[in-house]
Amino acid sequence: MKKKKTKIAKKIIKKTVKAVKKKAGAAAGRVIKKVKPAARKAKKTRAARKIAAIMTPRVEVGRDRAEESKYYPRPTPYLPPRQWEHEELPSKYGDTRIVAMTRDPHWIFAYWEVTDDRRMQVEREASASWNDLRKVLRVYDVTGKDFNGSNANRFFDIDINSEAINWYINVGEPNRSWCVDLGAITSSGKFIMIARSNIVSTPRDGASDVIDEEWMSVEEQFLKLYGLWGGFAGASPGKAQIKKIMKERLQQALASGGISSFTRPEKFRGFWMVVNTELIVYGATEPDATVTVQGRPIKLNRDGSFSLRFALPDGEQVIPVKGVSADKAEERTITPIVKKYTR
Amino acid sequence: MEKGYLCIVLHSHLPYVRHPEYEDFLEEDWLYEAITETYIPLISVYNGLVKDGVDFRITMSITPTLCSMLADPLLQDRYVKHLESLIELSAKEVERTRWEPAFNRLALMYQAKFIETRQIFADKYHKNILTAFKEFQDMGKLEIITCNATHGFLPLMEVNPKSVQAQVHVGADNYERFFGRRPRGTWLAECGYYPGVDKYVKEAGVRYFFVDTHAILHASPRPKYGVYAPIFCRSGVAAFGRDFESSKQVWSSIEGYPGDFNYRDFYRDIGFDLDFDYIKPYIQKDGIRINTGMKYYRITGKTDQKEPYNPDWARDSAGAHAGNFVFNRVKQVEYLFDVMGKKPMIVAPYDAELYGHWWYEGPMFLDFLFRKLHYDQKTVKAITPSEYLELNPRNQVSTPSMSSWGYKGYAEHWLDGSNDWIYRHLHKASDRMTELAGTYKDAAGLQRRALNQALRELLLAQSSDWAFIMKTGTVVQYAVKRTKDHILRFTRLYDDIKADRVDEAWLADIESKDNIFPEIDYRVHT
Repeated sequence: MKKKKTKIAKKIIKKTVKAVKKKAGAAAGRVIKKVKPAARKAKKTRAARKIAAIMTPRVEVGRDRAEESKYYPRPTPYLPPRQWEHEELPSKYGDTRIVAMTRDPHWIFAYWEVTDDRRMQVEREASASWNDLRKVLRVYDVTGKDFNGSNANRFFDIDINSEAINWYINVGEPNRSWCVDLGAITSSGKFIMIARSNIVSTPRDGASDVIDEEWMSVEEQFLKLYGLWGGFAGASPGKAQIKKIMKERLQQALASGGISSFTRPEKFRGFWMVVNTELIVYGATEPDATVTVQGRPIKLNRDGSFSLRFALPDGEQVIPVKGVSADKAEERTITPIVKKYTR
Repeated sequence: MEKGYLCIVLHSHLPYVRHPEYEDFLEEDWLYEAITETYIPLISVYNGLVKDGVDFRITMSITPTLCSMLADPLLQDRYVKHLESLIELSAKEVERTRWEPAFNRLALMYQAKFIETRQIFADKYHKNILTAFKEFQDMGKLEIITCNATHGFLPLMEVNPKSVQAQVHVGADNYERFFGRRPRGTWLAECGYYPGVDKYVKEAGVRYFFVDTHAILHASPRPKYGVYAPIFCRSGVAAFGRDFESSKQVWSSIEGYPGDFNYRDFYRDIGFDLDFDYIKPYIQKDGIRINTGMKYYRITGKTDQKEPYNPDWARDSAGAHAGNFVFNRVKQVEYLFDVMGKKPMIVAPYDAELYGHWWYEGPMFLDFLFRKLHYDQKTVKAITPSEYLELNPRNQVSTPSMSSWGYKGYAEHWLDGSNDWIYRHLHKASDRMTELAGTYKDAAGLQRRALNQALRELLLAQSSDWAFIMKTGTVVQYAVKRTKDHILRFTRLYDDIKADRVDEAWLADIESKDNIFPEIDYRVHT
């Protein structure tokens, strides 16, 4: 699958380059015209002016992009999948157990496991086979109760499929306490509790109505302080507005999640291509000679060879390479001149 | 006389990543990047402020996992090697960019910075920069706080109170080993709080922690001063709530300062931009391109046609943003002082790695910020939570609401289709740890070592980072590997301890790999 993608991407690159060449050739005059205003704009910024000449030529065509090859520079950090060998974690621990967890003011989560023994017990009790039994989560509102199985404020059932091992439950009510039974319902409608969860509470999603007399404040003051959360400096928002403030505010994640590899950058969509040029200047002389390139001394390898690599901007580079013998008796200068331009 | 306080909190955290079994390990770079781009620049800012006589206050959590890595000789030496390689690369870059002045200037800048970093890290602080932070703490400028042991997300651990207790206590004990005294405050990982966590904080001898805005606004009874004064939980521990305004100015991806077009672009790194053969010695051994930290472009705009970074312009922007931040805090404090009739406490917490690593100019912004606070105005005073509590010993008693500072404000980021499978294993391991601690009350010798290691493995498995990464979908395989490795090691220890057949050689091997918390006592999980 991946291979295929790369192939296609490569084809697209080929095509694109051709297309661009064609276009550039056919409409050379127009292209130059287009470049001019951009160059003038760049004059505004001191550095940008110098850079206009070396800006990497970029082409944007189509929406596909080469996703795989590591040899292409890419604008976004990219990691191929890595695999490690390890044993798998057990799928079961041999417990009959259901655990509830609070996700937010409206949702709780439960996971469970049922042993074969417990299944058989339930089958016996229900006089039905496991697969024929209707499986449910019975969700009790146990707010303010010392829950004993029959004193819940109310409950509701959620039908689940036999293979499920966990479930997100929309309890829909903040600031309440909940208990979840994993159960089976027989054909006669009898509920058999298979496992009972711990008790969890959903948090409040608004301000508390409980007010401490000693720390009482006028409603308006509190709403003003609350309103600051939504950027309402000076105003005290109404109750409905407060709900909205909170919802909007919590949607914005104001935490970064640490270090670079933790998060992905926003991707610029579309095909992309970058072309840069570099120049390698290399040569050799007597190992004990002194060599300068464009007037700057360079370090020779032990055998007297040298190799320098330069980013090559548009324009002309005059590169005098001067070697002087150790006894300063002899010297030689060789001056390559390189002209580069991009179209 | 001031009319209110500003408490800047930098939460510095990295998960424990240390792989002596590999010569070169990608995720260890998180630490190296953070040292170069955040921790050392912060130290330089603090040093500059002290030198210039600028009185400042800042609060930093340095999590136990991060402290342990910063103090680890293997990672310290690897970091020096990493720096040497950067210095070499920057020298090559100075040469390569000779004909491109705008880039050449930046190559020279990086070269100078890397050399200076080596001097600070290796020569000045002898490879342990915790010494630096401790010095600022001893001067009274910096308040270092701890975090729960491995940054475990406590609300999803509620079913295992012994694990919550162990997380909180091990974190506080670890702090004492590094900083020579009990921590005054703690950062609960991801600001994850549920009513009851404070009890363990209290028992660990810690006086305060931080929560997100809605934890306080939705506390019960209703807090009279909103987030602008701390509340005392029934346990007597103080909870400080985050101010939304000051957070948004820095954090927001839309309006936040770090998006300024003059600032350095995070994603354009020469590790990705340059020719493969040239950059190969400076990326992963297996050829995976990575960030080197040498970045040549500024954000420029909503475009991928980036222009070269200009340090002078960036500096101007940082100065202007610091001025804007201070101006807004002054206005805010004046307003709140009138509404409240007392001095408000503005708590502005950020991930430390935002400063420098993400937002390259962040440390410079802080430098300007503290100078402006010190010289330009008298309304707002920088303060630490401990100082505030000294000045304001009486606060309203109330119970914060369950919450976090993560996406949508609760537990959703860590409890989602991508990561919910881990909890049945984590909870089971916690139950088993409780069982072990209850069964072997006074273990000695090999058994004791195995029990202590079992707790280390459990704590490492509980790091919120693994679930976080699974959700964000970045280095998921690594996060899965870590979760499985630690649970499997724990499980084998559990089985072996119970069967009385602990393999000493194997134990020694994992002790040397997962070598965090040498001082740990498994009985903290009782």
